[in-house]
Amino acid sequence: MTTIERSAVRPDLADPATYDAGIPHEAFATLRATPGLVRNPDGPWGSGFWSVTRLDDLVAVSRDTTTFSSAVGHIQIYDVDEDVRDARASMIDLDPPIHTRLRRLVSSAFTPKHVQDYVGDVRRRIGDRLDALEAAGGGDWVAEVAAPIPIGVICALMGVPESDHDLMIEMTDHLVEGTSSAELDPGAYGNTKPLRELPFNSPAAFGVEEYARRARRDRLAEPRDDLLTQLAVAEVDGERLSETEYARFFQLMIFAGNETTRSAMAHLATHLMDHADEFDRVRADGDLLDGAVEEVVRHASPILYFRRTAMADTVLAGTEVAAGDKVVMWYASANFDEAHFADPLAFDVGRPRVPGHVAFGGGGAHFCLGASLARIELAELVAEVLRRGLRLRPAGEVETVSSNFVNGVARLPVEVSR
Amino acid sequence: MGGDPTGDGSERVAMVVDEDRCIGIGQCELLEPDVFRLGDEDAISRVVDGADLPRARALELVDRCPSGAISIADA
Repeated sequence: MTTIERSAVRPDLADPATYDAGIPHEAFATLRATPGLVRNPDGPWGSGFWSVTRLDDLVAVSRDTTTFSSAVGHIQIYDVDEDVRDARASMIDLDPPIHTRLRRLVSSAFTPKHVQDYVGDVRRRIGDRLDALEAAGGGDWVAEVAAPIPIGVICALMGVPESDHDLMIEMTDHLVEGTSSAELDPGAYGNTKPLRELPFNSPAAFGVEEYARRARRDRLAEPRDDLLTQLAVAEVDGERLSETEYARFFQLMIFAGNETTRSAMAHLATHLMDHADEFDRVRADGDLLDGAVEEVVRHASPILYFRRTAMADTVLAGTEVAAGDKVVMWYASANFDEAHFADPLAFDVGRPRVPGHVAFGGGGAHFCLGASLARIELAELVAEVLRRGLRLRPAGEVETVSSNFVNGVARLPVEVSR
Repeated sequence: MGGDPTGDGSERVAMVVDEDRCIGIGQCELLEPDVFRLGDEDAISRVVDGADLPRARALELVDRCPSGAISIADA
């Protein structure tokens, strides 16, 4: 066993540098082919963890919220101090039934039927951004297209004014820096708290929190017809969310509704350039549009992993897992599981829809709240690019986001023509 | 599939939604709008009175519910 573990832990999956060149497909393939679960050793960030890399195992963990908790330990690889966990937590860090009661405060806004109401706004934003990109003959696809569209859509949905969208982009960029190896300025965004008390250990979390506190006070004083007001006045078990709970909720939605779809849209540009033939198929047969979206999301795997903590001794994939052990679900591996996806690295818009990928999660209580919204944003963007007959070409070096948590793209210069 | 007398999945079966498990993703309503309806306010899925599906399709719905809230009513 020693030999297998030694070879399999190289590269260290906790090290953000492991993802600098994208998803480490070879390393994950080796892990998937290794019987049982493979133990990633301890690091400066805390104790080691079990890596779940096969799709079936991942789904089993994801759906069993009783054995594999989000509320104990942390949902990221690194540990959080017990005394600050509650202060940092949002519903993503909770288990049912509390998690589900909180989630229901907003779930009706994100159903497939309800997100159709936002299609007009999505189309307008896509049209504006593509007009600007085309007029300039190209530019940074991330800054011009992938970043502003999702943040615009989620902010409009929540009720954050247009004038604050750039601030939201900036703050969420800095949030995710908490998952890189960069040293962060603890005083940024007016932060006065110890970083260990903040989500992602990031001072930008303080900035987002302060923004949310102000938004809540504004909405309570002067209610509007928006999600921020709905969330401010909603009651769970007869009580309104506290200011801190509200701030965490806000932060979760801003981050999750923005960063992930941005990442998928960035990867979309790469696929448009690398697999123009596949998108020609979609242009010729509109029925393939949804399949193209799913294939973009599968390849993007915008969230690389989430962690759970075992609540009891259990056996998973033949490996004994002890109560308290960290169990990490690598979506970025399961989405390329050769047991489920034929020729998994190929980009194929005609892939069967069942079984699906797990880029929105492996199922269970925490399945991506915004999945339907992300799907319409991506479908509308693909459709508009194809309708305009846009051709993209690389125009400079691509920069990825240094993180062991998100598969982000920081910069993607392209030339655009018809 | 032991309870399927025809063996081809065409037998019609009723379905139930575990309302405590449902998180309102709405996959069921999207796939079978005549069988599943999400509450306007709570986004919890409920089965339309008397609605049923061929067993093969019902099993697919069970499989595709992200929260594992759907099951077939017979036992």
